[in-house]
Amino acid sequence: MTAPRTDDRPADRDGRGTAAGRSRGGRGFEIVLVAVYGIFALSATARSLVQVLRDFDRAPVAYSLSLLAAATYIAVTVALVRGGRRSRVARVLVVIELIGVLAVGTLTVLDPVLFPEATVWSVYGQGYGYVPLALPVLALVYMLLGARKHPEA
Amino acid sequence: MSLLSIVVAVLGGLTAALAIYYAAKDLSADLVLLGAAALTAIGWIVLGIALGVRDATSAGPPPERVTLYGYVLTGLMLVVGGGWLGAFERTRWGSVVIAVTCAVTLVLLMRIHQIWPGGFA
Repeated sequence: MTAPRTDDRPADRDGRGTAAGRSRGGRGFEIVLVAVYGIFALSATARSLVQVLRDFDRAPVAYSLSLLAAATYIAVTVALVRGGRRSRVARVLVVIELIGVLAVGTLTVLDPVLFPEATVWSVYGQGYGYVPLALPVLALVYMLLGARKHPEA
Repeated sequence: MSLLSIVVAVLGGLTAALAIYYAAKDLSADLVLLGAAALTAIGWIVLGIALGVRDATSAGPPPERVTLYGYVLTGLMLVVGGGWLGAFERTRWGSVVIAVTCAVTLVLLMRIHQIWPGGFA
């Protein structure tokens, strides 16, 4: 591959003047993470709000966990947009997210009665093509790689 | 209705394929790719309007409106948001974002057809 690699350039910290020619580098792969987390933040929030507002009593545990998942996705999205891949907050939030997926996924397998309705994290995100499970792993790998290559930043 | 959603699906699929090609060639989104995304967005708007008209004029049982229009709005926001990020991220990863968002709209369309066969029942 002769093309210049675009993924390891320093991220555009101010997040604004990307149209200005100076910041040609952009965020690189980080922007994909931001987009995917944004999609999950949007869809999980919309879904859980509808569930909680319409019929919370049918599956309180599942719906509360849906809301928690939505909040986590929003938090990770904001942390990534503001701090980028080397943000400690983003890293901690992604670890929380991973624990959440694993915990809720295991719970739904062990005790399905608790979950009459599915959540984003049911059976490790089965309803979403297991992306909810793969996403935090991918994000963590990417963040740790970034931390090792640029320990000062 | 199904014809219209097939058109929107084809637009989304073509845009996603084009975006993947751009990403593979290490190109950032240009006016061609952004134009394809804009066409897809217009497709979603037309689909939403058509569903609304059908909803308003049909005598059958009303669809689950929050979910239906939520899906349509999500599809539109995905395409517009993906195009927005792709326009400002001047690397191949901007193209990847457009590919991902357009691919997700295909899943959305599929879900819409699962929930409301033939538009909505």
